[in-house]
Amino acid sequence: MTSSFFDLEVPQSLIERARAGELRAFEQIYRRFERPMYTLALRMLGDPEAARDTLHDAMLKAFQRIGQYRGDAPFWAWLRQIALNEALMRLRNRRDVEADFDPDLIGDETSAPWTQADGATLDRALSNLPATTRSVIWLYHVEGYSHPEIAEMMGKTISFSKSQLARGTARLRALLDPTVESVSCLMNTAVLS
Amino acid sequence: MSDEYSRSELTLGAALRALPTASPNGDVWSELAAKLAPPVHARRVSFAMPAAIAACALLAVTFVLMRYHAPSTATVAGTSPSSVLNATTETQNVNVANATNVANDTNGNLAALQARSRELEQWLHETADAATPLPGNDLAAAGEIESLIGIVDVELAAPKQRDEEKLWQRRVHLLEDLTALRYSNYRLAESSTAANAGHPSTWIN
Repeated sequence: MTSSFFDLEVPQSLIERARAGELRAFEQIYRRFERPMYTLALRMLGDPEAARDTLHDAMLKAFQRIGQYRGDAPFWAWLRQIALNEALMRLRNRRDVEADFDPDLIGDETSAPWTQADGATLDRALSNLPATTRSVIWLYHVEGYSHPEIAEMMGKTISFSKSQLARGTARLRALLDPTVESVSCLMNTAVLS
Repeated sequence: MSDEYSRSELTLGAALRALPTASPNGDVWSELAAKLAPPVHARRVSFAMPAAIAACALLAVTFVLMRYHAPSTATVAGTSPSSVLNATTETQNVNVANATNVANDTNGNLAALQARSRELEQWLHETADAATPLPGNDLAAAGEIESLIGIVDVELAAPKQRDEEKLWQRRVHLLEDLTALRYSNYRLAESSTAANAGHPSTWIN
């Protein structure tokens, strides 16, 4: 089971205080979720300014609609859904142009260059993927969404989600493994996209 | 999807989750707090509205009480009777309206309004002890009215006042509101005193 960055405990009393409009309670919730929410937006959008706007707008919506939180799901999941919707809306508006995918680039499925790469290198490689591809990878691997869930959120098919995951994984491998011949070509394609 | 591919995916997930979380530039919370905090004027309105509603309700109750319970030739025993209270209640209402209407229609408008203002002010002064203490809601409404009278006085004190007549008219209206507010309390106090003394109040038919 994947553990989301959002998976943080929020006391019921804090939620009630926020529902009552107490600004101090809002701040405590904000401080708790600022980094997970910003990180999710940044991974999906790849742009610090857009991620900041997403954080701001999602938090504002959450606080304005906190009375609608019924408590039938964990508070963090409710909050994450709001952030995700905000990020997806921005992603849709961008209309990313995906580069053509070469199935041969998947290469050896057992090789996992990310296990050897340091965080900065992996971060850099990730940022070179197209936003939609990167979002699918992040939602699937880090936030723990299934392909049907991702497909529904993005308004696409399950096949689309699966193919984006496969493409993204292949590209990451190629970007991280210097032995793959077309790395430089891929880097250029990714940067352009 | 093969087992080997699944293992590869899981490893990628672990590597991604190991990446540090990021934080935004600048103070996003301050921007949010400014939008979430209720504006100052909203608090002012939230106080003024109940006070205004209370004042209107009180005026309506006072009018009904005056119409159905006041004697035709009522006088207030033990206090200095003023022209305001010596008149019958219904006549008083007519007089108030007449005083304003007459003031609007004749050349002596300003003098009539000023006289009416003095009359009301004198009555308020004379009955101040008997009318207090006011209940909480009445007190708030009275405070609001007194503040508005103060604003009118400031405007009247300004040199070369073009709308002097309108201001005096407004002052009279405000004093009438204050009179009605005080009047109901004043009558209650009088009734209570009369009942305690063992004789019927002159205000009850």
